[in-house]
Amino acid sequence: MIDLQVLTQAVGDLDEKAILTMINDFVATNPSGEDAQKVVLACQQGMAIVGELFEKNEYYVGDLIFAGELLSTTIDLIKPVLSGVATQKVGSIVIGTVEGDLHDIGKNIFGSMAEAAGFDVYDLGIDVSPSAFVEKVKEIKPQIIGMSGVLTLAIDSMKNTVKALNEAGLRDSVKIIIGGNPVNEDACKQIGADAFTTNAAEGLKTCQGWVK
Amino acid sequence: MTDAVAMTNERNQIFRDLFSGKTPKRVPISNPATQDFAIQYAGLDLAECQWDLTRLEPVYDKFCQDFFTDTYPGGSIRIPSHYQILGSTPIVMSSSGFMQHPEVVGLLAEEYDEFIASPYDCIVEKILPRLFTELNGAPGKVAMALAKAMRAQSDDLAYLGTIRAKMNAKYGYAAMIGALTEAPFDFVADFLRSFKGISGDVRRYPDKVAAACEAVLPLLIKKGTLPSPGMLGYTFIPLHMAPYLRDKDFATLYWPTFKKLVETMAGMGQNVQLFVEQDWMRYLDYLYELPENTIMRFEYGDAKLVKEKLGKKHIISGFYPITLLQTGTKQQCVDKAKELIDVLAPGGKYWFQADKSVINFEAKGPVAENMSAVLEYVHENGTY
Repeated sequence: MIDLQVLTQAVGDLDEKAILTMINDFVATNPSGEDAQKVVLACQQGMAIVGELFEKNEYYVGDLIFAGELLSTTIDLIKPVLSGVATQKVGSIVIGTVEGDLHDIGKNIFGSMAEAAGFDVYDLGIDVSPSAFVEKVKEIKPQIIGMSGVLTLAIDSMKNTVKALNEAGLRDSVKIIIGGNPVNEDACKQIGADAFTTNAAEGLKTCQGWVK
Repeated sequence: MTDAVAMTNERNQIFRDLFSGKTPKRVPISNPATQDFAIQYAGLDLAECQWDLTRLEPVYDKFCQDFFTDTYPGGSIRIPSHYQILGSTPIVMSSSGFMQHPEVVGLLAEEYDEFIASPYDCIVEKILPRLFTELNGAPGKVAMALAKAMRAQSDDLAYLGTIRAKMNAKYGYAAMIGALTEAPFDFVADFLRSFKGISGDVRRYPDKVAAACEAVLPLLIKKGTLPSPGMLGYTFIPLHMAPYLRDKDFATLYWPTFKKLVETMAGMGQNVQLFVEQDWMRYLDYLYELPENTIMRFEYGDAKLVKEKLGKKHIISGFYPITLLQTGTKQQCVDKAKELIDVLAPGGKYWFQADKSVINFEAKGPVAENMSAVLEYVHENGTY
C-alpha cells in the first residue's frame, strides 16, 4: 500500500511525476477495491489542499485547471481496480454554461473540483437553454444547479433559466449558484439565485454547506 | 466647414493631446456598447443582421443618435461570413448570435519544436488546417474556400467602412484607426494550446513555452503595426492569461515578450492600448515599466491605487462596471461615473471607457436609459 499522506501532499503540490508513479505502482499490485477507495480519498484530500492554496493566492486558475486534469488522469488509472465498490456521494449538481455563452473554463474547474469533493456532477455543456436545464432537473432531481457564464449576456440567460425553473415548479426543490466573470451580489438578487461566486473553491464550499 | 467636420477636428485634437501626455480640454468618451447591442437596440435579430450587413446603416444611425461618444461605436467586430466559409472553430457564433472564442487546440504539445523552429510555416501548414476545417483538404478546394472567404470579408469590411464614413461625416467622431494584436503568451494560449493545454505546459515544459513566445513575437509585432505610425490611433492588445498564472510563471513566461511587443510598438511611434482584462493588481509594478503614455483600460481593481501608481506615467481608462447599468438606478449609475472621474481625471491622462463591452440589450431592461444618462453626464461633467 502506498503512503497516503505522501500521495495527498503530492496532489497538493501538483507533482505530476510523483503522483503518476505512485498510482501506477499501486495499480500494478492489483489492490483491493477498499484500498483503491482510500487512494481516491487521499487524492480528494490533496485537491482540498489545492483549493486552500488557491484561496491563499499561491495557486491561480491555471493551477486549478492543471489540478483537474491531473485528478481525472489519476481517477482513470484507479477506476479498473475500484469496480464493485459502492462510492458514497455527497449530493448531485447539474451544471452548464448558460444560453448564448460558449465559455466553459470556469464551469469545468468547478465541475472537476465538485467531483473531487464527492458530488455527482451532470455537465450540460455550453450554450445551454433554459429548457435543457429544466429537463435535466426533472430527470436527475439534483440538490444544486450551477450556472456559469463569462459574457454579460449570461446574466439575462441566467435570469431566464431561473424563470423557466419557476414556471416548471422546480425552483424551490433546488439551490442555485451562479458563477463567472459578470456575476455579483446585485446580479444574483436580480437573477433570483441563492448564491454567487467568482471563485470555484469558494463556490464549492457554498455547495458543501447546502448538502451538509 | 460643417459642424461635423469641426467636431471631428476638435475630437482629433482631444485624442492627440491625450495620447501625447497633454491634458485635453475635456475627458474623451467611448460608448461601451458594441454593434451586437446596436442591432438588438434597433429591434432586429442579432444573428440575422450579421449575415446581412446591408441592414446595418439605420441600426448605426439610431445607435449614434441616442448615445454620446467621441469615437465611432463600431468596435472590433467579428463578421461571421468569412469565418463560416473557412469552417472556423476558434471563432464561432453562439445561439444568441454573439461571435465568440471557445477553447481550441491548434498545436499539439509534441509539435512545439516544429513551431519554435518556424512559426509561420507551422501556422500555415499545420495550425490553420486544424482550426479551419475548409483549409484542410485538397489544395484546389482550399484555394477556393480561401478566395471565397477573403472576398466575403472584403465585401463586408467595405460595407461596414462605408457606414462608418457616413456616421463620421454626420456625427463628427474622432478619425482614429486601429490595429489588433496579442501578447505572445496569450496568442500561444488562445490559438495554439488552449487554456487547459497551456496550464499544463507551464509546468511540464516551461522552456518550450518561453521559446514559442519568442518565436512568434515578430509575427505579432507585424500584426499590430499601423499603416503609418504617425496616424491618430492605436494598437489594441486585449490581455488574457496573466491573472491566471503564478507570479513566477508570469515573470518568466508572460512578461518578457509582452514587454518587448509594447516597447517595439512604442519605439515605432505608435500608441498602444491594453485591455487589462481580469485582475492585474498584483502586476502594477510591471505595468509601470511599460513606455510612457501606454493606454491601459482596466476591467477590475482599485482605481485609486492604479491612479497613484500608474496615473502620472500612463493613460488610465476602464473601471466603469457595466453590470451596474443592468442592476442600478439611473442615479447610482451616474454617481459611479462621478466617483471614477473624481479619482481618475485630476492631472489628466484619463479616457472614459467601461470595464467591459455592452453586448446585450433587453428591451424591458434599464441598460439603454442608464447608459445614455452616464454618457451624457460624463460629456457635460468630464473635466480634468
